[in-house]
Amino acid sequence: MKGRGGPISLYVHIPFCELKCAYCDFNSYAGLEELMGPYVDAVCREAALWSQAMGRLAVRTLFFGGGTPSLLPIPLMERLLGALGKHFHFLPGCEVTLEANPGTVGLQYLKGLAMLGFNRLSLGVQSFQDDELQALDRLHTARQAEEAFGWAREAGFRSINLDLIYGLPEQPLERWQATLERAIDLGPDHLSLYALTVEEGTKLAYQVARGLVPPPDDDAQAEMLEWSLERMAAAGYEHYEISNWARPGHRCQHNLAYWECRPYLGLGAGAHSCLPAGDGWVRFWNVYSPRRYIEALAASAGPPADVVAGHVPLSMPQVAGGEVVDLDGAMSEFLIMGLRLSEGVSLEEFRRRFGRELLEAFAGPVTELSDLGLVEERDGRLRLTRRGLLLANEVFVRLL
Amino acid sequence: MAFGMEQGLIRNFCIIAHIDHGKSTLADRLLELTGTLSAREMGELVLDDMDLERERGITIKASAVRMTYRARDGREYELNLIDTPGHVDFTYEVSRALAACEGAVLLVDASQGIEAQTLANFFLALDQGLVIVPVVNKIDLPAAEPERVAQELCDTFGFRREEVLFVSAKEGAGVHELLEEVVRRVPPPSGRPEAPLRALVFDSKYDPYKGVVAYVRVVDGHLDTRRPLRLMATGRRLEPLEVGYFRPSPTPSQALVAGEVGYVATGLKTVGDCRVGDTITWDDTPASEPLPGYRPPKPMVFAGLYPADAEEYGSLRDALEKLKLNDAALDFEPESSLALGPGFRCGFLGLLHMDIVQERLEREFGLNLLATAPSVEYRVLTTDGQELPVRSPAELPPPTKIAEIREPWMHLSVITPDRYIGAVMELVTSRRGEFVRMEYLEHGPSVREGERRVLLEYRMPLAEMLVDFYDQLKSRTQGYASMDYSFIGYRPGRLVKLDILVNNQPVDALGLLVPADKAYQVGRALVEKLKELIPRQLFDVPIQAAIGGRVIARETIRAMRKNVLAKCYGGDVTRKKKLLEKQKEGKKRLRRIGRVEIPQDAFLALLRLQR
Ligand SMILES: Nc1nc2c(ncn2[C@@H]2O[C@H](COP(=O)(O)OP(=O)(O)OP(=O)(O)O)[C@@H](O)[C@H]2O)c(=O)[nH]1
Ligand code: SF4
Repeated sequence: MKGRGGPISLYVHIPFCELKCAYCDFNSYAGLEELMGPYVDAVCREAALWSQAMGRLAVRTLFFGGGTPSLLPIPLMERLLGALGKHFHFLPGCEVTLEANPGTVGLQYLKGLAMLGFNRLSLGVQSFQDDELQALDRLHTARQAEEAFGWAREAGFRSINLDLIYGLPEQPLERWQATLERAIDLGPDHLSLYALTVEEGTKLAYQVARGLVPPPDDDAQAEMLEWSLERMAAAGYEHYEISNWARPGHRCQHNLAYWECRPYLGLGAGAHSCLPAGDGWVRFWNVYSPRRYIEALAASAGPPADVVAGHVPLSMPQVAGGEVVDLDGAMSEFLIMGLRLSEGVSLEEFRRRFGRELLEAFAGPVTELSDLGLVEERDGRLRLTRRGLLLANEVFVRLL
Repeated sequence: MAFGMEQGLIRNFCIIAHIDHGKSTLADRLLELTGTLSAREMGELVLDDMDLERERGITIKASAVRMTYRARDGREYELNLIDTPGHVDFTYEVSRALAACEGAVLLVDASQGIEAQTLANFFLALDQGLVIVPVVNKIDLPAAEPERVAQELCDTFGFRREEVLFVSAKEGAGVHELLEEVVRRVPPPSGRPEAPLRALVFDSKYDPYKGVVAYVRVVDGHLDTRRPLRLMATGRRLEPLEVGYFRPSPTPSQALVAGEVGYVATGLKTVGDCRVGDTITWDDTPASEPLPGYRPPKPMVFAGLYPADAEEYGSLRDALEKLKLNDAALDFEPESSLALGPGFRCGFLGLLHMDIVQERLEREFGLNLLATAPSVEYRVLTTDGQELPVRSPAELPPPTKIAEIREPWMHLSVITPDRYIGAVMELVTSRRGEFVRMEYLEHGPSVREGERRVLLEYRMPLAEMLVDFYDQLKSRTQGYASMDYSFIGYRPGRLVKLDILVNNQPVDALGLLVPADKAYQVGRALVEKLKELIPRQLFDVPIQAAIGGRVIARETIRAMRKNVLAKCYGGDVTRKKKLLEKQKEGKKRLRRIGRVEIPQDAFLALLRLQR
C-alpha cells in the first residue's frame, strides 16, 4: 500500500473502562484491566506490522480514544508511545490528544502525560449535576471534573476539551444551562456538546423500552442546542461542526481529518481506518473484541504477506472487514461528512478531488434541500442552514 | 320408477345451530353411525372443507352428503344431510339450503342455551315450512343444563317438552335415537317425478376440471346427463358433464330423481352463471314456473381494496377474478384514489364476508392490501329528482345538489343475560339504534335474577354496525351476548359528508358520511388521531375536518425540529452510513398525501380509524 503518500491521522483505541455508562455503545469494556499489558503489546505489534507493510508513515495528528485511555498507567503509556515513535514519523506541531475521565486522573499522572508529549486533553465531563452523572452511571462528581480541569492546566495542557451531554430524559432547559455555564466558567479551549441518543443494546435503551425512563425529547434537545449556539457564540467560541465549538486556533485537527475525508489509520480493537484507493477510498476495521485482537496479533509471526493498495488489507491478522468506496460513494461521503462543518464544503475542493461539479453531480437533492431551506450555497461553498443543522440527517439521507 | 329411491324412503334435512354449538361434530357422528365414513377416515371434519372455515369456526359454503340408514323399522332410508352456512352474512344461502330440505335439526348447546342465530335460523326454517327437531347437545359437559335449555326451547319456540332430544355429539350418546326421530318426524319429499325437471341450486362451487359444480335438490322430474339443461333465472344453457351425489366423496350416478339431493357438473366457467337459488330445468321442455325465492346476490357492505404496492394492481385484479369464480356475491369495479392510487371498490354480503375475502387475497394470493373503512350503499336523491346509489363518500354529489340521503337500516336481535341490558341499550342507542321490543326467553322461578336470558330487538343503521360494533357488544357483555341482523329497508337520515384535509388537501380515502349531530365529535376525534399517527414533517402540517368547506376541527402537526446524529464515532463512517441508509430505506416505503409522507403502518392505522 505504498505510494499516495501524504501525512495521515493516527487513532489508537483503548477499550478499557471502570464501568459501562448507561448510554454508551462504544467498543469499551469494564473488568478487563488484566488485559492492559498484553493489549498494549498487541498495539505495538500492529504498529510494527504497518510500518513493515507501508514504511514509516508521516503522522499529523494522534488521538487516543476509548474506552478510557486515561486508565493506562504511565509506564504502559510510555511503552506504547515509544513504539509509535519508532514506527511512525510524527510531524512537527503534531496534535496529540488523550481522552480522559475525571476521577481517573491526578496531577502527577497529567504531568506524566505532558512529559510524554500529549498536548491536548479531552475530558469526559458530560454534566455538572451529580444526580445526572449518577443517572448516566458516570463514576465521578462535578467537583472532580473541575479538579481534573485545574490539574490539567497546572500540568501544562494548553488545549483542553470538555465533552458534555444535553437532553437527558426529563432534563429541564435550566439544568442544561447551568451545566454549560459552569463549563464556560472553567474556560476550556474546546467544547463538544452531544445530544443524548438512545443506542441499541445499551442500558438506557432497555430502560426506555421498559418505560422506566422516558425517551429523550427531540423538541427539548432542539431548544437546548439553539440556546447553546447563542450562548457559546457570546462566550467567544466558534461553532465549527454540528456538535463542536472551539476558541480560535483550537479546532480538533484529528476530528477534522474525519470530516474532511482525509486518510487515517486506526490501531487497536475495533479501530477504523480509511486510506485512499482509486477514485475513492478503502475503509476497514479491526476485530472488536480486545481478547481476539490480542490473539490475532500474538499469532502473527512475520510481516504480513502482501497489502495491496486499493483493497481491504485482509491479510493483516487484526483486520476484520472493510469496504471499498468508489467514486460515487466517495462523493456522497465527502458531502455527508463535510456538511457537518459550519463552513460546509468547498465547490472548488470538490472539483479538485473528484473532477466533477458538485452542483451538477447532486443537482436534484441540492435543489430539493435548498427549497426546503436546509442547505445554502454561498461564496463557493455549500453548507447547512441554521435549520438544516438540526435536521442534518434529513439532508444526509437525500445525499446518500 | 325407472331409477333411484322410492320417495317415501328419502329424508332431506339439515342441522341448524349457533356457531360452535356442535353442528360439525354432530354431522361427523351421523356419517360415522351410518357407515358413510369410518371413524378412522374422520380425522378431519368433513363438511367444512376450506381451511379458512376451520380457523374461523364457521362454514362458508353448504354442501350435502348422502347416507344410507337401516332404521329400526327394518327399512333402508336414504338420508341427505345438507349443510348450511353458519353466519348471518349468508342468510340467503342458508334459506336456499333450507328450501332443499323437509326437516331441520335445531341444535342447542346445553351449556349456552338459545343464542341469536339459533333464533334466526329457527325462524328461517319455520318460514320454509320445515319440520323442526329440537336437540340439546353437549349433555356430557359438566356445565351442561339440559333441563333448563329444554325448557327454554319450549318457552321460546313452543315445542312440547317430550319433543326435545338430548345428545352428546362428541360422545355419541343419543345420536342413534336422533336418527330414528329424523326418519320418523321428517316427512319424505313429495315432488312430481313425471313433471318437467325443476331442481333447486342451493350451492355451487368452481372446480378447475369440471367447471361449476351445482348442488341441487331435484323437486320435480329427473336430472341426467343425456338432456341439455337450462338455468331459469340467468337463462344459461348447459350440457351436464356428470351427475351424482356425495358419500362423502363425489359418486357419479345415472340420474337424480324427484326428491333426491346431489350434484351436477355444469362445465360453466363461474358460479355467477349458476347462482344459488336458481332453478335448473330441461332445455327442450322447460318447466313453466321456476321454484320460488330466487334473488340475485346483493352486496351490502363496500370497501376500497388497494395493493400496498401499486405494481401489484394487476395481481390484485387477477386474484379478485379468481375468487369471483367461486363467489357470486363478490362484486368489484376499478376505482382510483388520490392517496392510494389504483384499486377496486368491492361489494360484500357483510362484514364477515369482507374479512374472509381480504384474508384469502392476502393468504392465498400473497397480496399486501390496504383497505379503506367499510361503507354501506347510500341512496342519494338529487335536487333534480334522480336517485343515485353511492357506495363511497367520494362519490357523493356536491352538497347543493343533494335533496336527501337514505341509508340502509337493519333489524338487530341481541340475546344476553339480563344483567347486561343496560350496557347493550347504551351501546345501541349511542349508534342511533331504536329499541323495538324485549322478551324474556326464560320464565319460572328456577332462574336467578341477572342470569335470565333476554331477547332485545332494535332497528339500527347498518353503517353504525360496520366498525367495531360486534367487538363492543362482546366486550360490554363479557362475551355473553350474541347477535343477528337482517336488512329491513332504506330510511332518510340527516347525514353530512365529512372531509378530512391533510396539508389543505382533501384525502378521498378518509372522507366519510356521518350523522349531522355527530359530525363535530367525530371530526374532532379523527383530527386528533391523525395528529398522533402522522409523523412530523419538515414543515407544519394542518389537519382539518370540514363539512362542505366549513372547517369544524383543526390540529397542526408541528414541523420536525431535530433529526441529527450528534456523536462522532471515531472514524466509524460505515456505521453512520448504515444508520442513514436505514432511514433512507424507511423513506422508500412511505405513502404520500401531497407532500406529506406517512409510513405504511401509520397509513394503515389511519384507514382503520373511521369513526
Ligand atoms: N363436550 C362436548 N363438546 C362438543 C360436543 N359437540 C361439539 N363439541 C365441541 O364444541 C366445539 C364446536 O363444535 P363444532 O362441531 O365445530 O361446532 P359447529 O357448530 O360446527 O361450529 P361452526 O362450524 O363454527 O358453526 C368443538 O370444540 C367440539 O369439539 C359435545 O357433545 N360435547
Ligand atoms: S467512559 Fe466513555 S467509553 Fe467508557 S463506558 Fe463510559 S462513555 Fe463508554
